[in-house]
Amino acid sequence: MVMRLELFSAPNCNRCGQAKRVVADVVDELGTDRISVRVVNVVEEIDYAVKLGVIATPAIAVDGTLAFTGLPNARALSEALSARLAAHKDDSCA
Amino acid sequence: MAHGQTSYRIGEVTGLTNLSADTLRYYEKIGLLPPVQRTASGLRVYDERDLSRLRFIQRSQKMNFSLHEIGTLLDMREDPQHARDEVRQLTLHKLSDVEQRLQELTTLRTELQLLVNLCQGSEQGCPIIESIDESGNSKSD
Repeated sequence: MVMRLELFSAPNCNRCGQAKRVVADVVDELGTDRISVRVVNVVEEIDYAVKLGVIATPAIAVDGTLAFTGLPNARALSEALSARLAAHKDDSCA
Repeated sequence: MAHGQTSYRIGEVTGLTNLSADTLRYYEKIGLLPPVQRTASGLRVYDERDLSRLRFIQRSQKMNFSLHEIGTLLDMREDPQHARDEVRQLTLHKLSDVEQRLQELTTLRTELQLLVNLCQGSEQGCPIIESIDESGNSKSD
């Protein structure tokens, strides 16, 4: 099962570009076939962002749950995604 | 109001609650307040319990409860252990209304917080406001 990562961004958001690069690097490392990435413009999808509890950009949700608010460092993001991938694997084996 | 004061003249209560003297007398007349104590000269003297009821009435009115419903809830508030079934049902129903409103307010708070943060985080203006302006313009075009 592919893990779903959503990066919440906004026009003129100072740190969103950097967040996109961090996400791209980490996903490349962990496997683009295992993680799907979608960039969500909160201006266009504000209801969805609010539903997930996004109060600032950048923010990252994994499988529909808010995981990071602010710019995560690559290591923290990688560890969080790896842990979830492991859980995914366990679920699919069960 | 002096600290620890436990009795209040009607003018003090209007100041504390922003309710008019007419409203206070009306609430007493229709039974939302029990008969208020009087001085020897006949002036009303309210106590902390009366103030507590008035604050409950105000909170309930903000939830658009009717005065009749508020009266029922006040009865429940006086003696919750011995409330009749229909009073208990009304209270449960109103609790559900409050929880729903709370959820709506929580969502609104998140949305407003997001808007504030987006505007603060941008060096080139407020993307949300600009987006709203743009959509407003396109509608009028």
